[in-house]
Amino acid sequence: MLKERLAELVSESCDGQITAAEVLEASVPLSYLGVTSLAQMRLIDAVEREYDVEIDLGGDVSFLDSVEGLAAWVSAAR
Amino acid sequence: MIAFSGARSGTAPLTWGQRAIWDTIERTAPDDHYFNFGRVLEVPRGARPASVAHVSRGIGLLLERHESLRTLVGPGPCQDLRDRGELAVRIVADADPAEILAELTANAFAYASEWPLRVALVTRGDEVTHVVLAFCHMASDGLGAEEVVRDLRLLLLRGRLQGGAPPQPFDLALWQESPAGRRQAWSAASYWEREHRRMPPTMFHVPSGGAELPPIWRGTLNSPAIDLAAQRLAVRHGTSTSTVLLTAVSALVAEVTGHETVAVLPIVSNRFRADTRTAVTTLSQEGLFVLDVEKSRFADLLATAHPAVLRAYRSAYHDPADRERIVAETSRDRGTPIHPYCCFNDMRFTEQAVDRDEALIRQALSESSLTWPLSQEQLNCRFCVHLSGAMQVSLTADTRWLSRQDIERFLFGLERLIVEAALR
Repeated sequence: MLKERLAELVSESCDGQITAAEVLEASVPLSYLGVTSLAQMRLIDAVEREYDVEIDLGGDVSFLDSVEGLAAWVSAAR
Repeated sequence: MIAFSGARSGTAPLTWGQRAIWDTIERTAPDDHYFNFGRVLEVPRGARPASVAHVSRGIGLLLERHESLRTLVGPGPCQDLRDRGELAVRIVADADPAEILAELTANAFAYASEWPLRVALVTRGDEVTHVVLAFCHMASDGLGAEEVVRDLRLLLLRGRLQGGAPPQPFDLALWQESPAGRRQAWSAASYWEREHRRMPPTMFHVPSGGAELPPIWRGTLNSPAIDLAAQRLAVRHGTSTSTVLLTAVSALVAEVTGHETVAVLPIVSNRFRADTRTAVTTLSQEGLFVLDVEKSRFADLLATAHPAVLRAYRSAYHDPADRERIVAETSRDRGTPIHPYCCFNDMRFTEQAVDRDEALIRQALSESSLTWPLSQEQLNCRFCVHLSGAMQVSLTADTRWLSRQDIERFLFGLERLIVEAALR
């Protein structure tokens, strides 16, 4: 469920230009699918609101580039 | 005259974005017309023929919907929101809309007494063909103006708008003062402070020896090759052309100044949150992009730049009062003024990146041309890069720190750097 919801948030962050299904099936980093840094900023805001967490951009942020990475990060942070 | 009446009036503090542009306007006066900008809306086919009365009604509804368009700068300064008033509209027959826009934006706004939107209608016969809108930067930034134009277009076509009221700067100012707003401000302020304690005091610190009169000059390089090469790099490295350009500008600043750590202030839209995305107001503020340029390969630098870009974007949503305090404190502690005086403004609204062919990029190089479209007395910066179109890269610089020759060399150097990296 977590991954599916995160995939929806990724899709919304790029105005639906990439579907949640495409996000879930992605075999390359999301940035290569066209998730720009602007979309990532929206995604960060959406994840922070939805899961009441705070993402520290000072460290390694490569988890933003895959739904698996995001799911693992959210699970650990909650 | 267009009469309008909105739902509420009152005063509120300036939002962070309004405060930031207000400070910049004050520092740039009397050349503050520099910040005026505009849009021309061609009346859509489905709304033709549009009478002056029909278009005027649409503009009235626009002013009712977006509170920033009927907000003056009150004492303090503060937001002085009015619920009713009248807007003067110029009606010009058979004119070039671009010329009218140039006239409307030529003089600074009377911030305390003049509505922050100037409107002209261009007519042919009985019909309005174009609506010319000149914005005061206190009312909106470029993306906010896009919202206005979209709403006006729909009003002309349908006579009304669907959906609830958009976020208003009046409410945004109250959120920014709330505990949640202060938390965001604190987080951004800690980043600004940390970087201000380590970055070089300023980027351009050696006099150029080539000061001009007036001192501020803009060189604009029209370079399709930069656009194509940036697209190829963006696709290849899974990033945006904006990040490619910001990174390339930083790398070149490092090269010409000798700094190993480069600080650039990108103008950031600050429209990442649900409560800001569609607001008509000035939300864009400077973020702080700091890059350690020890890596020699541009591809490696792009990888480092990505998290630095995210940090810069987040730092842009800050309280200018915090930043002012941090600049003053770190300048005092380090015994020298700390300010990059080096900014970057990607004014394109959309970007597309396609893996462009090598031959196409090489061929495009012959189309590059340089012009000098602007010179003026005052600018509160030493080095400002603007991106528009596909692609005009302009460098507006203070010739006391970068001569016109330096400006020209920088622009062509940027083209060379990006094209060579794309063809490698």
